Amino acid sequence: MQRDHDASPRDGRAKRGRRGRWLPYILLSPLILFIGALSLYPTILTTVQSFYIVSPLNPPTRFAGLSNFRAVLSDPTIRQSWVNTALYIVIGVVLTTLLGLGMALVLQRRFRWRGAILALVVLPWALPAVVEAVIWGWIYDPTFGVLNSVLKSLGVITHYQVWVGIHRLLSIFFIELVQVWQIAPLAALLILAALQSIPDELYEAARVDGAGRWQQFRRITLPLVRPGLAIAMVQSLILSLNIFDQVYVLNGNAPNGASIMMQTYNVSFVNLNFGQGYALSLMATLATLVLSLLILAAVYRRVEF
Amino acid sequence: MVGRLQARRRTTRLGLLAGAALFLVIVLAAAGCGSSSTSSTATPSPAASGTGLAKVGGTITVMYHYPAPPKYMLDQFTAQTGVKVNWVQIGWDNLQTKIATAASSNTYFADLTDVDWSKVGEYAKTKWFVPLNSYFDPTTLKADVPQIDTFMANGQLLAMPFDASFTVTTVNTKLFSKAGITTMPTTLTEYTNDLKQIKAKGVVTSPLDIPFAAAEGLSTYWYQVTAAFGGQVLDANLDPAFTSPSSPGYKALAWMIDAYKSGLVPQANIGMTDYQGFTTEMAQGRVASVFSDYAGSVGSIYNVPSTSTVVNQVRYTAVPGVSGPAPSLANPDGVGIPVTAKNKQGAIEFIKWFTEPQNQAIWAGLDGAKGVIGGFPMPMRVSSLKMLASANKYAGASDLEALLGASRAEFPGTGAPSWYAQFSNAVYTNIHQAAAGSETVAQAINNIAAQVKSLKATQ
Repeated sequence: MQRDHDASPRDGRAKRGRRGRWLPYILLSPLILFIGALSLYPTILTTVQSFYIVSPLNPPTRFAGLSNFRAVLSDPTIRQSWVNTALYIVIGVVLTTLLGLGMALVLQRRFRWRGAILALVVLPWALPAVVEAVIWGWIYDPTFGVLNSVLKSLGVITHYQVWVGIHRLLSIFFIELVQVWQIAPLAALLILAALQSIPDELYEAARVDGAGRWQQFRRITLPLVRPGLAIAMVQSLILSLNIFDQVYVLNGNAPNGASIMMQTYNVSFVNLNFGQGYALSLMATLATLVLSLLILAAVYRRVEF
Repeated sequence: MVGRLQARRRTTRLGLLAGAALFLVIVLAAAGCGSSSTSSTATPSPAASGTGLAKVGGTITVMYHYPAPPKYMLDQFTAQTGVKVNWVQIGWDNLQTKIATAASSNTYFADLTDVDWSKVGEYAKTKWFVPLNSYFDPTTLKADVPQIDTFMANGQLLAMPFDASFTVTTVNTKLFSKAGITTMPTTLTEYTNDLKQIKAKGVVTSPLDIPFAAAEGLSTYWYQVTAAFGGQVLDANLDPAFTSPSSPGYKALAWMIDAYKSGLVPQANIGMTDYQGFTTEMAQGRVASVFSDYAGSVGSIYNVPSTSTVVNQVRYTAVPGVSGPAPSLANPDGVGIPVTAKNKQGAIEFIKWFTEPQNQAIWAGLDGAKGVIGGFPMPMRVSSLKMLASANKYAGASDLEALLGASRAEFPGTGAPSWYAQFSNAVYTNIHQAAAGSETVAQAINNIAAQVKSLKATQ
């Protein structure tokens, strides 16, 4: 006790420093606990269980090696849904990136009502996917949908069309369009943030050197906006690979639009084959990881000003 | 030292507070997963009287896809039994997922929940529900509850029917008469010819409603058309009975696809589920008939002025068969007790009360609008229908009473197989593909048959 009374101010700072060292961990602990319980633990469990037969209809739970993976890879319906998912990804990533970039370029300029338009543009991102799918379901409706009405009045079509459900590519395109509508604002914001960090001096220098708008875009904007583009593309990839709500609402269980997440749901909760469901989930996670890394390797470049 | 201890206590307290807050957030989020929750507290009602219900007390959670019975009725139940009811309404699809996840992890989620007719084989195999034979005698009840067999598997009664649901043909008599048809068809040939006549006379462009979306409603439609052609899709050994082109199942599928391709069915129906079809096509007068409609649709959909333009125009008719009326197929929902239930005795008392003849009639309107359970199709008891018919409180009660008595299980004798979900998935995806033109009828039939063989081999 005596030593405590005699402690110098330096000792007090050291104690506070030691206590301060733990503070970040204490503050982060709820988040770590949350992520650990709801993300890491399920991932580990999924990985382990994917090697077991886990099905209440086929008890007991037992080790199965790679049989779950073989089963889901040889199932033609699931193979088709992988192809469908690849199409969702290609359409989603390309359209989201182009739209996001276009919107960001427009929003970068200063104009009247810019703030209000920015808020409006972000609105679809804030809506739940199911709500958006229901709204777009009305737009696509073959009997009274706005899309048919507009296209017919413009003379593009002669009679009302069924947009989702018959042709595979058309179905996937129109379903993915709903998601693009939802996530393009997020992409636009990410790219806009990157655009706004580019110093004006670079453009001024380019103009002095006689560079036109297209050259400025190609030589300055595009290279320097790559970090934002990469993150936007990865976001779009993750959401397109995991597309479920829009498919379920607009196309039900129809195989010509079923995504891999639809199949994972069906295998797990309709067929009650949790082992195969775990295997599919793991494969989807790995696909997300690999494709994300590929996009980052191809597009992302560290930018310093 | 003291300061450090206090700091540690503060830190611990902070950690505890943070932990408690996190726990609270998780609990609140979990509670928020249900779409609605109603709770009834014990308020003895003067109307309460002993009806053979035991005083057991406690609380039960009922997780169901229908809204709760009216509060005044729940209060009566609480007064009679001492059991408080916590009713959680949740969508049917979500409910099935919750049942599967909770039951497979042996976790309590409710004391009473839905048992769909299609899940009986699955639940018999997984033993997720308490057999009810000790409390309800199927043999005694059969006459008044014709669809009780649907919930029997291996001699065990896994649930009591909550409603009576069966497929039945509905016709818009106004549209039929506009085409010059005054006598309703009783055979498939007459029915098909009448539909062609309605189309030819331009009364409506496409008079027949078949929901071709890849969903359960398409499967049950095929089973019903197969029954109309005089057969069933699976035989007594649960083998495919539809592979021969002369079999009723094959003919039924060909008839459905031909109806779509020839324009008897609206093109838009390729993405339409059964309920969508009833509400947007039949209730709006865009089609003239649903071959495989649900009993109760007239009262709960077509005669509701706020959502229908065909009020008092639609009526039930016996399902047209090859040479006369065909059987109607039963597809009711039941109430069952999960083995993880905490208050099984309270749940038993609730089932008794819930399915009691007078209460069943009240859910359908015997006591006026105040007693109705929203969306309740029709009572599962013949005696309840008789009450409604004599009080003139239910559209088509007399017709339905006869049809209910004549309805039969989708899979007579065997019940729905444990692999029904996968079978149905194969059925509706392949029929959908055939209608969309991605497969021929023969390919669809072969794919469904191959799936049945594979399922039988693996399970």
